[in-house]
Amino acid sequence: MSRRLVGSVAATLVMVLAAGCGGSSEADGKVQLSLGLFSDFGYDKLIEEYQAAHPNIKIEQRKVKMEQHNTQLATQLAGGRGAADIVALEEGVVSQFRASKDKFVNLAEYGAKDLKSQWAGWKWNQGTADGGDFVLGLGTDMGSLGLCYRRDLFEAAGLPTDRTEVAKLWPTWADYSKVADQFTAKTPNVKFVDTGRNVYKAILDQTEEGYFAKDDSYIADKNDKVKTAFDTAAALGTKQQTGALEPFSQDWNVALKQGSFATTTCPAWALALIKAGAGDAAAGKWDVTTAPGGGGNWGGSFLAIPKQGKHPKEAYELAKWLTAPGQQKRIFKETGNLPSQPEVYRDPEVQATVNEYFNKAPVGKIFASSAESLKPTYRGTKDSKVGPVFGTALTRVEQGKQSAADAWTQALKEAQDAVK
Amino acid sequence: MTDLRTRTEAAPAASVPSSTPSKRFGLSRWDAKYTPYLIIAPFFVVFGIFGLYPLVYTAWVSLHDWQLIDGNQGFVGFANYAELFGDAKFWNALFNTLSLFVLSTVPQLLAALGLAALLDRGLRGSAFWRAGVLLPNVISVAAVALVFAQFFGRDFGIVNFLLGLVGIDPIDWRAETWASHLAVSTMVMWRWTGYNALLYLAAMQSVPKDMYESATLDGASRWRMFWSITVPSIRPTILFTVVTSTIGGLQLFAEPALFDPGFAANNSTGGSDRQFQTLVLYMYEKGFRLFDAGYAATIAWMLFVVVLLVAIVNFSLTRRIAGKG
Repeated sequence: MSRRLVGSVAATLVMVLAAGCGGSSEADGKVQLSLGLFSDFGYDKLIEEYQAAHPNIKIEQRKVKMEQHNTQLATQLAGGRGAADIVALEEGVVSQFRASKDKFVNLAEYGAKDLKSQWAGWKWNQGTADGGDFVLGLGTDMGSLGLCYRRDLFEAAGLPTDRTEVAKLWPTWADYSKVADQFTAKTPNVKFVDTGRNVYKAILDQTEEGYFAKDDSYIADKNDKVKTAFDTAAALGTKQQTGALEPFSQDWNVALKQGSFATTTCPAWALALIKAGAGDAAAGKWDVTTAPGGGGNWGGSFLAIPKQGKHPKEAYELAKWLTAPGQQKRIFKETGNLPSQPEVYRDPEVQATVNEYFNKAPVGKIFASSAESLKPTYRGTKDSKVGPVFGTALTRVEQGKQSAADAWTQALKEAQDAVK
Repeated sequence: MTDLRTRTEAAPAASVPSSTPSKRFGLSRWDAKYTPYLIIAPFFVVFGIFGLYPLVYTAWVSLHDWQLIDGNQGFVGFANYAELFGDAKFWNALFNTLSLFVLSTVPQLLAALGLAALLDRGLRGSAFWRAGVLLPNVISVAAVALVFAQFFGRDFGIVNFLLGLVGIDPIDWRAETWASHLAVSTMVMWRWTGYNALLYLAAMQSVPKDMYESATLDGASRWRMFWSITVPSIRPTILFTVVTSTIGGLQLFAEPALFDPGFAANNSTGGSDRQFQTLVLYMYEKGFRLFDAGYAATIAWMLFVVVLLVAIVNFSLTRRIAGKG
């Protein structure tokens, strides 16, 4: 009795200790590859196809929300285990992970440099470090900028509704603000734009240097472009022309459904979000046109390979295939994620694509031409730490808690703390 | 005492020449002496691995410049602590934490006490009511936060709608400090009142009924009986709930995090001006958004100290109050 008791206690202990150190095993001799993704990369069908063509490879997709993905990845890199074999890095955080590039495989070792010409030059550069010697990730989609507007709300405010006419209203962001004034004068109960934060981000994404100069030095406090972008967005907030909404939040969805704002900045990937939020009832009411100030890029991702993975070679082959032109074109047709490769976005078939929901807007043409004219912003290593500080500052202005000047002063101070 | 008895019982056995019984008694002595330790050992092993080790390791990390991904960047002594004491954001988070704690815990425990007293009065279908009050606690905190975040929506929230019916202007629940604290506290109360009520109820049912009978004979009112008999009798349970609510309340994270729509965009600071950023939220921001693990560890340790202090103060305070009856 007592011996059995001692035995079971010991067994429990062993079990407890063993549970702490489980590991993944390889099933039926196949090479198992995991893909750490967020939102919809449109890989489901492609993966099935790849597995069929490579019977020795088994692929597992792990999808979580983006913010969770980034935090998880950081802790997995820190802990040295648990990361997927291939991980997606979003444009906003890729610079942050670039600083820890020793945790990733240099894809140049597998010949990634030979693929360079596939991508738009700036897209390729964003995924590399050390002047191009270290290839951190292969580009997936990109987020060239457009502007979405509600036709019915524009009509009610006595504004043109045709997309070329609307584009003519706002060659610059200053013109955009003037349209906002006209709109508010006619229909004061409808907000002109969802949030000042996205206006700010869109303007900033059209400059070559934002918070950081190309040598990675912090310049937000002396860069006029940042101040101008902030002032433009803050003025909309002060005049209560914004919905003061957290972008892509539940409140934002509700506001879309209620039709309580008339315009929103929309990178290619945002079309799906707008459609999901506004629902079928708003089909044909939303339309897309070119953004003020020319092209810009917001978002888009890269596929990178953490060093801790067991099969870097196989992972590289898969990442290379998933980001190849043929696959990017198919993904665009399925999900609308804009290809980051000129060969693909200049493809007549891509150019001819229209979006039924957005009043049959020629999205292929709009986003591709925006991609042609864009000047990508240099993202500093600490960009993702500084950016949100200015975003919350604008929210304070929109909430009426602070004047634009006070919010700016506080943001600069907080940004200074974040970069030190 | 036990030890003594075991020895006296074992002594005559040793004089018996046969080897089998002596072996058996030897084992039983070993058994009596060590088995209790063995049985509780798993707890301490698990506590050591998941409790003590992280605690000590966190202290170690807090003495370094430690980046989340890149690890140790060198020993800095108490520099993180020195910075923390001069950090206005830390004091703001501490204020928010304490304010949210008081706003949620005090009404919560009082309501739980009242609820338990009602449930104790032998309602029809008592099992239904008792299970009912626990329901909010079994629902996932994320679901609760999602629903409450909509209740407290600025433009289309039901709370503002109801306020509008009585002529009160809509409130931007996330913009103002007091409004956001009220909203977050409501969530906490909703989740934990029923749970504490059940603990109180269990304690109330073990209060001897004859005490109430004699009090009734003496002409005491229900109110008087509640404060003079019930509350002093369940004092240990009240102490327990005060300590656990203190620990839980000061570690508040999920409710304020999910109340902030910015959390989904990973730029959550608990409001546009940190109106409802608790210590744990601040720790999360430093550790997992800004990747400053050393500073986050420092906040964690300060939180540990704060919880300890507040728990001690509450414990002695409650003991005194409940003791007076």
